[in-house]
Parts: sequence; structure tokens; C-alpha cells
Amino acid sequence: MIKHLCKLVWNRKRINFLITIEIFFSFLVLFSVIVFAVYYLNNYLYPLGFNYENIWSIQVDTRSGSDEKDKLQRLAKTNQIISALREFGEVESAAAVWAAPFSRGDWTSGRKLKDGRDFDYSNNEASDELKEVLGLNVVRGRWFSKEDDGVTNYKPVVINQMMARAFFGDEDPIGKDISDPDDKERKEARVVGVIDDFRKNGEFSEIRGYVFNRADFTNQQSFLPRFFLIKVRPETTAVFEEKLLARLQAEARDWSFTIKTLVDMRANVFQEYLVPMTAFALVAGFLLIMVGLGLTGVLWLTVTQRTKEIGLRRAKGATKRRIYHQILGEMFIITSLGLLAGVLVVVQFPLLNFLGFADSKVYTLSIIISLVLIYLLTALCGLYPSRLATKVQPAEALHYE
Amino acid sequence: MLKNYIKIAFKVFLRRKFFTFISLFAISFTLVVLMVAVAFLDHTFGKQPPENKQDRTLCVFHMVMKTPDGGGTWSSGGGYKFFDRYARNLNGVEKMSLCTETEPVFSYHNGEKIQSYLKRTDGEFWQILEFTFLEGAPFTSDDEKNVNFVAVINDATRKKFFGDESAAGKTIEADGQRFRVVGVVANVPYLRRTPFADIWVPISTMKTNNYRGELMGNFNALFLARSRSDFLAIKDEFQVRLKQVEFPDPREWNQMYGVAETYFENTSRSAFGRQENYQSQNAKFLAALIGAMILFMLLPTINLININVSRIMERASEIGVRKAFGASSWTLVWQFVVENVLLTLIGGAIGFALSRFVLQAITKSGFFPYAEFHLNYRVFLYGLALAIFFGLMSGVYPAWKMSRLHPVQALKG
Repeated sequence: MIKHLCKLVWNRKRINFLITIEIFFSFLVLFSVIVFAVYYLNNYLYPLGFNYENIWSIQVDTRSGSDEKDKLQRLAKTNQIISALREFGEVESAAAVWAAPFSRGDWTSGRKLKDGRDFDYSNNEASDELKEVLGLNVVRGRWFSKEDDGVTNYKPVVINQMMARAFFGDEDPIGKDISDPDDKERKEARVVGVIDDFRKNGEFSEIRGYVFNRADFTNQQSFLPRFFLIKVRPETTAVFEEKLLARLQAEARDWSFTIKTLVDMRANVFQEYLVPMTAFALVAGFLLIMVGLGLTGVLWLTVTQRTKEIGLRRAKGATKRRIYHQILGEMFIITSLGLLAGVLVVVQFPLLNFLGFADSKVYTLSIIISLVLIYLLTALCGLYPSRLATKVQPAEALHYE
Repeated sequence: MLKNYIKIAFKVFLRRKFFTFISLFAISFTLVVLMVAVAFLDHTFGKQPPENKQDRTLCVFHMVMKTPDGGGTWSSGGGYKFFDRYARNLNGVEKMSLCTETEPVFSYHNGEKIQSYLKRTDGEFWQILEFTFLEGAPFTSDDEKNVNFVAVINDATRKKFFGDESAAGKTIEADGQRFRVVGVVANVPYLRRTPFADIWVPISTMKTNNYRGELMGNFNALFLARSRSDFLAIKDEFQVRLKQVEFPDPREWNQMYGVAETYFENTSRSAFGRQENYQSQNAKFLAALIGAMILFMLLPTINLININVSRIMERASEIGVRKAFGASSWTLVWQFVVENVLLTLIGGAIGFALSRFVLQAITKSGFFPYAEFHLNYRVFLYGLALAIFFGLMSGVYPAWKMSRLHPVQALKG
């Protein structure tokens, strides 16, 4: 049966070739949208690793630039601001951090792992209160605390689970050193705790290694924080914001402060991901509708041209059902040829390091979803023309001869 | 003859309305997407006020500073000290302006929080860029020198602070500082990176004077060349000046990189090159844009060819009769191409109407602040050329195939 259908397809190779090409490109277009959608959805379903409700971010510009002269003074001012923030009744807890969740800018490092893989991870620097403010979940060991005060022979760090797995596998990471062995001036970076996977850039961002260093504003080596994060009482309104800003400006006259809620910042990040995605999905959707209409038209014409052939089959005793299956079967073969070529092209991408962000699970799933959707589309397009074919009356068809 | 072809074409279009619909849908949809993309590019890179002298302006957007071993990289805008000491008086530069990158600032006005974008700049800025002043006038170099707290605001900011009243002479508060409004300008779109801001104030009103000692910072420089032919010399001299920089501590940082370029060059460099690389990446960027466009047009074209090829058989008897009566293949090709171009033009007209609608919707959505996407005559011409190219692409192959049909076979049906 299939062999016979293949022969029928071959007999009309020119037009079928064009349809195959059309399906091939449709598959590529659909796949490129689906792979992003699946990737982002997969990320979205993964836990974020922190809370963002009722938390305000205060971005601070200390105008430090390359000038290091009065750094101690600035660090002292930072400490003053944190204690000033805590004095407010509306503020439950306050912390300083180098990069706030949902903010721009990443501080990344790379390392070669024992098994030879390159591993990129993000860094951050936070004060002891961050755990409380963001509700971080410590799975092993502990978060930074006063215990770390005055420690000079090593640098305490907290890493996330993914980093712990990548560096130490199933071993207990607590007390181990993660500093770069190739760095000549290295100082031991001792893991004191492991937290749940933390994704600063929000739900759609990738799951990657994360390292927190301890911010200690009595130490001149410490970074100046770029953000203060405060957890406010749930009923706090924007009126408090003006009061807060006045106090901050009084504390540091020559600094600039930008207050935003994490909920707003999250909405902004969402928009940045979703708007281009929606635009691409819309364009791809319209392309597929167009392809669908085109295919329906082509099949319809094919059926009207093949009235004689179909009529003859009916006269020789073929049932309506068999005619119906013939048309859909031919369509299935043509579609499969196009899809085969498409899949062959698409599986090359990871080898060429193209679309490297998607792991094999996401990639395979995207291929399967795209295949199913294209088959559905062509089946849908074939439905009306094949129904039309079953209506051909043998007498009417044979009348031509 | 042409009139006859057009008559026949309309008869054919109306006979099979479904197919006409498919063709029109494909053509107009493709055009809408292309037109929106072109309008977007034109809006971002094209020449429009206040950048009337865009074709004579070069900018420095990004700078990179490196450690002696090249391992440590500091990438940001340039510092005031660098531009002021090393980039002034380049040969062929008529005027030079410095401005900060726009940054969000907040104001509290009558218990309401207002977010605006603030840019600090100098007097020359207003001479290089030609803003439309609705009220008052720009601040001057003297305002900058004398640290006058004056501001130019845009129309939207005036509305937020003063409603429909005039703003000149009144004061506004932004980022904890008070400024006297000296001028109001028409809104400048967010995507115009060089001029965009809501509030412009003099550089010297910065909260501290630290900026004066910085090699790296958040400044951009604008150079207005005497003519376009000076571009190359200016770019080269800027590279020479970069080599002259004296570093405060050469053991820490000892190299600086940056390029004087147009915004388009900057975009292609950030897409394909590296900031340290002085080579232009325009060719690659353009190739990528055109490649993407062709890839996108491929599917609709194949779709149209497909339909056109299938429809040939429908008209076999007509072709047979015409061939039998002596019509040459060329005449038939010509007729079919005319039909296709006509269909394309109708699709094009629908596409234009739809594009207008879509662009208006994008403008109204407010996703790109102050953006006004319109179908200007330039975009219209691009679109028209594309439509005809499209019609030829999808019409020629089927027409050629059709014309080679043997009359006997065709007449048989």
C-alpha cells in the first residue's frame, strides 16, 4: 500500500517537490519558535529561589568611578544607611547587595571543571541580612553571620545547588575551597553553605551556578554595594517612598537613589522576554496559517484534476474510505519527506554550537512538538480536499473519456 | 493589449475567490511584516529631527579600559576627563559635545511619583542637534560654566508637572535637585539613543565634581564634522589620541579602546564585533539583515509559486486556444506576469493599509516611549519595490512553465 502511494507521489514529483520544500521551511520556522518557547517554559517552571513580594530595591549611585581615595568613608556611609533603614517602622529587614534580583548587569566568571567542561557562573556580594530579606533557603551548612567577622585567612562563600553539584558531585561541599587553582594571588574561598538554585534574572533565565561572597563594610577590600534591599510591611504604600528618599538624601547628599519594587522590576524583565517572543510567535503563526491555506488550495486543485483517476478507482469498487485514505496517505508521505529533511538539518545545530543554550531534553521535546504540529497542520489541510475526493461519482468521472 | 490582460486578470481573480484570497493574504501579510521591520529600522537609524545633521555626526558610545595583561576589562561609557583632555580639537571637527547616558530619575510632585530620564550635557549639544523648541530656548555653555541649575524638558514632562500650563521660568525637582525650566522641546523617541531624554540639564550640576577626574564614566561624545569626507581622518585621529592617554596607575590599567562612529556602526559592532576592534562590521550586519529578510520571504514565495503552478492546469484550455491561434510563449509569459504583478499590487495596497494600522497600534501601545512609526514616503518606496520584486519572483517560474505547454496537450484538457 505504502509502496503504491509512493509511486503515486513520484508520478507528480514536480508539484510534490514544491510542497515538500514548503513543509521543510515551515518546520524550520516552527521549530525555531518552539525551541525558545519550550526553553523559557522549562525555566519558568523551575523554582526561582527567592521571594520578591513586598521587597523594595534602592539602587544607589555612589559616583565612585575609578577614584579609590575616599572608599573607607563611603563604606562607613553605607553602614550608616543600613542602620538608618532599619530604624523605620515600615521596614522589616534591610540588606546591601552588589546586584539586586531583576536588575541589569551580571558579574560572571568561568572555570574549567575536573572533567574538562567549561563552567560559567555568576557572582554576587551580599550582607548577612540578605537571607532574611529574600527568604533564601539554606539546604546545607549556613548563611553568612557574625561568625565570619574577622576571618582573614580565607573568604567565606555560599554557593547554589547547581554549583555544588558541578564542582563536587555528591560530596559534601561544606568547608571545601572553590578558588581558581590557576590564580597566583588566590585566597581560599571556603564554602560555608549551599542554597537552593538562585536565579537573579528571573523565572525565564537559565539555571546556572551562583556564588555569594560576604559583604563586609569594615573591610576596605569589600565592594561598594550597588543596591539596598528592604523588606517592607505588607500594607506599606508609595507615600513611605518619599519619606524614605528624603532620609537617604539627608544621609548621603551627593549620592543618587532609585527606588523600585521588585514586583515592578520583575514585570519589566517579563516584558523584555515576552514582547519579542510574542512578536516572533505572531509572525510564525501567520506564516503557518498562510502555508495552511496554500496547501489546502493546492490539494483541492490536485483533487479536481484527478477526478478521472478517482472515478476509475470508485468504478472498480474502491470504497469512499479508501479514497479518503489515499489522499491523506499521499499527503502524509510528502509531509514526512519534508520533515525528514527538516529534522536532519535541525539536529546539526547543536553540533555547530548554534542554539547552544538548549539542553538535549529541551531540544528533543521541541523537535517532537514541531513534528506533531506540522503533521496536524497538513492533516487539517488535507481534510477538506480528501472529503471532496470521496464525493466524486464514478459515472460523472468516467463521462470525460 | 494591456487593458485586455487586466480585464482577463480580474475575471480570473473573481472566478476562484478562495485562491485570490490566499494570494492576497500571503502578499499583504508578508508586506506588513517587512514594512513594520523597515519602519522600525528607519525609526532607529534613519535621519529625523532633531538629528538633522546625522550624516555629519560621529559619536563615541562605549569605551573599554584594560589591564596590562589584557585580562581585566572595564567596559562603560567614557570619562569626562578623557574626552575633555584628549578628544577636543580633532581636525575636521566643527563642534564637539559631551553628554551623559540617560538615566532614570524620580521626582515627587504633589504627592505623586514621576519617573523621567535625565541627560546631563553642555551648550554645544543644542547646536549639533536641532530640537524643536515649543517654549523658551536651550541652556548655553555659560550656564554650564557658571553651574546654573537650569533645565530643558520635553512636552510629556511639561504635561506631567504643569498640565497644560506653560513651564518656562518655573522650577522642577528631579533626583533631589531643583532646576529652573528654560525651554520645552517636542518629545524625542526613546529609540533615538543620542538625543533621547525627558530632562536635559548642564553637566556641572552633577552632585559631585568627581566626574572631572575620570577616564571611564558614563559620558558619550558627539563630533560634528565639517563634512562627511572628514570622517575617516577624524576616526583615525581619535585612535591616535587614545594612545596618548596618561594613566594614573599604569600597573592597574594601561590601555583604552573606543571608536568614533555612527549609531548604525555602533549597533553592528555590538552585534558582530568587539569594542576593541576598530574594524567596521557594517557589511556583516547588513548581510545578516538582508539574509533574514530573504529567509522570511522564502516561505511566502514558495507558497505563491505552489499555488500558481497548480492553477496552470486550470487554464490549460485557454492557453491551448491562444497557442493554437498563434500566440508566442513570450506573449503568454508577459500576460501571466502582468496578472501576477496586478495581484501583487492589490495585495500591496491592502498590505499598506494594514501596515498603517499595525504601526499605529504599536505607536499607541506606548511600549517604545514617544515612538512614532509612520509609513513615510521612503518606507513606502521600499515597500513598493519589494512588492513588485515579490510578484516577479512568484510569477515568472509558473508563467515560463505554462508557456511551454504543448497546444495539442493543452486543448485536450
